[in-house]
Amino acid sequence: MTGASGVIDGGRGAPERTACIECDLVVAIGELRDGERAMCPRCGHVITALRRDGFTRSLAFALAAGVLLVVANAFPFAALEAKGLEQVMTLPQTAVELARGGTAPLAVLVLGPIVVVPALILVTLVALLVPLRRRRSVPWLVPAGRLLFLLSPWSMVEVFVIGVLVSLVKIGAMASVVLGLSFWAYVGFVVCFSASLASIDRLETWREIEACTA
Amino acid sequence: MSGLPAETAAAAGLACCHVCLKLAPAALHRCPRCKASLHLRKPDSLQRTVALVVTAALLYIPANVLPIMRTDQLGQATDSTIIGGVVHLLHEGDYPIAVVIFIASVLVPLGKLFALSVLCLSVARRHPTSHHERARLYRLTELVGKWSMTDVFVVAILVTLIQLGGLLLITPGSAALAFAGLVIVTMLAAESFDPRLIWDHLGEADG
Repeated sequence: MTGASGVIDGGRGAPERTACIECDLVVAIGELRDGERAMCPRCGHVITALRRDGFTRSLAFALAAGVLLVVANAFPFAALEAKGLEQVMTLPQTAVELARGGTAPLAVLVLGPIVVVPALILVTLVALLVPLRRRRSVPWLVPAGRLLFLLSPWSMVEVFVIGVLVSLVKIGAMASVVLGLSFWAYVGFVVCFSASLASIDRLETWREIEACTA
Repeated sequence: MSGLPAETAAAAGLACCHVCLKLAPAALHRCPRCKASLHLRKPDSLQRTVALVVTAALLYIPANVLPIMRTDQLGQATDSTIIGGVVHLLHEGDYPIAVVIFIASVLVPLGKLFALSVLCLSVARRHPTSHHERARLYRLTELVGKWSMTDVFVVAILVTLIQLGGLLLITPGSAALAFAGLVIVTMLAAESFDPRLIWDHLGEADG
């Protein structure tokens, strides 16, 4: 450590040297206590945060999110009633309708960030966290870690919920809309999914992957 | 890289892996922990960001001029643009929704393009001050990006939900695709910008 560099030290263990990914300042991060965050002393970027049982928590939320995502895709998302007619819509149907309207790319751009990418993230999370929790080395740890952090910016699940609410108000003027079981399952999925991703820390995850593969 | 502030990793020839945050000698080219390629700074960061910002700005034109949605009611077709939709909502008195759509579809994309242009320009001119403000601007840009997709999702839901036996038919317009493309391109632009460039000229003013 040079004197000019920032030192964030929780006090225990040998500090790991890393650099702030946002400003490149070299920092040494000591052992963090539960709930502690290490912030870059120069630019304020949160470099790492420690949550007790982060992997277990993340895995639990990921499994719950997976179940809810299946439910959200299997049952009616919303139903529309007007002039005695009822139109029921499921989530996968959105893609089918968009593709039938001649806008297949749009179908991909909609269902991708709200169903496909989150589903891939969940599978990756489980494949990564199950061996990491048991400290077992499996050949896919590194690829799974890379896939996870590559995919995570492309999930737009919370944006979709806002989109649903806005459309309800827009349709509300023309017909009455009843939200189906799947909508509530999807809201639950968004909560669990976000909690799962928020429970794992990038630096901490990679340190564990390194410890397991070494 | 000479002339960098002494306490940066790059000045010591070390690169922080952008995938796993491992600090490793840049000469290795591959991260010893996750095998991603190592760079002191994202390669051609400014050129890529500017190229993507220009692409996004071009997509912004069809996204706003072309209709995002076509409504067929009793043989009468009405096209609505993004702005038209906001104005319609205002007339209907749906102020909160109008504000949500206006922020997500107009303010956020424009603000993002503006912010990224300012960041690129300041880095290219080696601007020596307001690092904290620019770092905050970059973080905000990254954070708000995906919220612009709201309107695309709204169109998708309306199209799927409303097929009232010929009474009303809604089809997505070409602007929906242009707009979705715009959101993705701006997200890529924010991703390709390297915030470390903001700090590389720290203290140059004092000599």
